[in-house]
Amino acid sequence: MHRRWLIPFAAMLLLWSLVGQINHYLAPHGISLFAGGLLVTFAALRLSLRPGLFATALAGLAVDALEPVTFGTHLILFAGLHVVLYHLRSRFPREETILAVVTALLANLALFLAVSFVTLGGHPAANSAWIRLFCDLGCSQVFVTAAAPWFFALQGHALAFAGVDLGEESRHPF
Amino acid sequence: MPSHRFDQAKPFAALGIVVLAWILLPVAVKSFLRSALYEVQAPIAVSASYARDLQDYWAERAQSKNDLLTAGRELRRIYSGYEFEAQQTEALRAEVARLEQLLRLPSNPQYRLEPARIARRDFSGWWQQLVIRKGANYGIPVGAPVVFGGGVVGRVREVHAYTAVVDLITSPTVRLAANLEGDARPVSYQGGINLPFFLSAARGVVEFVPPDVFASAKSPKRLVTSDLGGVFPAGLTIGWVTRLEASADGLFKGGEVALDPRLSELSEVTVLVPLNPT
Repeated sequence: MHRRWLIPFAAMLLLWSLVGQINHYLAPHGISLFAGGLLVTFAALRLSLRPGLFATALAGLAVDALEPVTFGTHLILFAGLHVVLYHLRSRFPREETILAVVTALLANLALFLAVSFVTLGGHPAANSAWIRLFCDLGCSQVFVTAAAPWFFALQGHALAFAGVDLGEESRHPF
Repeated sequence: MPSHRFDQAKPFAALGIVVLAWILLPVAVKSFLRSALYEVQAPIAVSASYARDLQDYWAERAQSKNDLLTAGRELRRIYSGYEFEAQQTEALRAEVARLEQLLRLPSNPQYRLEPARIARRDFSGWWQQLVIRKGANYGIPVGAPVVFGGGVVGRVREVHAYTAVVDLITSPTVRLAANLEGDARPVSYQGGINLPFFLSAARGVVEFVPPDVFASAKSPKRLVTSDLGGVFPAGLTIGWVTRLEASADGLFKGGEVALDPRLSELSEVTVLVPLNPT
């Protein structure tokens, strides 16, 4: 039972750490990557609601712990996005990698804009901030496109290795 | 049909329960959770930092002996210059202490210098922060000033078991009391202009500059820390004011501050730990 949320959560932590290290090297070049949408997508599309939402919520709290935002901001944003994707997932073939990548891109865009609107209050130069943010968003979307197939395969194989049947997960929605 | 509608609403009901549970959770539990989740992830950044240092060490070991001897000679030259300046600084310090005693003036705050390696840089468009490899284990307090050879780096925002998080002066969340070099009138500095790629080095914003002050890119004015803020020692370089124009109310001027481009490439900083905290 614990594997169903623990393994996706561990994979999310791994991805967030990797993105953090990439951002460390990109910092002198004025670029930063954001992959919040990619964190949420696999759990929302492939897992049943309870373990998926639990893993996503924990990932949101883990991200909040590292960042200078009110603790719970990413929890609510990630959980909200997870629920929306979960609600819509029956309308398209979610097992298809290409559609999952497109979903990750749209999810990442939505989360990026949401975090921007939450954090930019009181910014002394909001116009220049949006220039930087749009550049970061463009680079982030390129990264998500490249990394999404690998990340989905990682989670799928890790769950299969742990004996979790994703087909069975789909048949038990809650 | 009602059962189908309820199935459709289940995810949103679950979300509502999660949000409500989070709102009702006691603050102490939230603080504990935040601290615990941070400490679980801290070893990842710290280990990666040690791995980078090891990589740099082995890269330097591959240098030829001639290169190392040349570098050692240059360092000796620089060191002897600093040694002389350190002796002068000690003499000046003793003179200041004697004058403070004579005139019964309050002492300037004293600091312990704590150098720290940078474990991770987090420079997004929303905030700019560093994680350093020293924390409560070295007595780093929250709010301690952080500096480097070129001036001010930022301020310690969080302290954990063996790491600390520093807000950079390029971050829009950082506001400092400052004054222009040679002018005791206080002004306000705030970070936040971070353009992408190589468009420009990071810049900050200066406000409440007296209207009789002029600065431009050709004749910039150095912006230094003021002791009015109570955080930084007075006189540390923040940046250079390169543009000033009248504010909307006409009472003051505001403008841009060019910051040291080395801020985005730092690998080590120094934390000033107050010896006599107020």
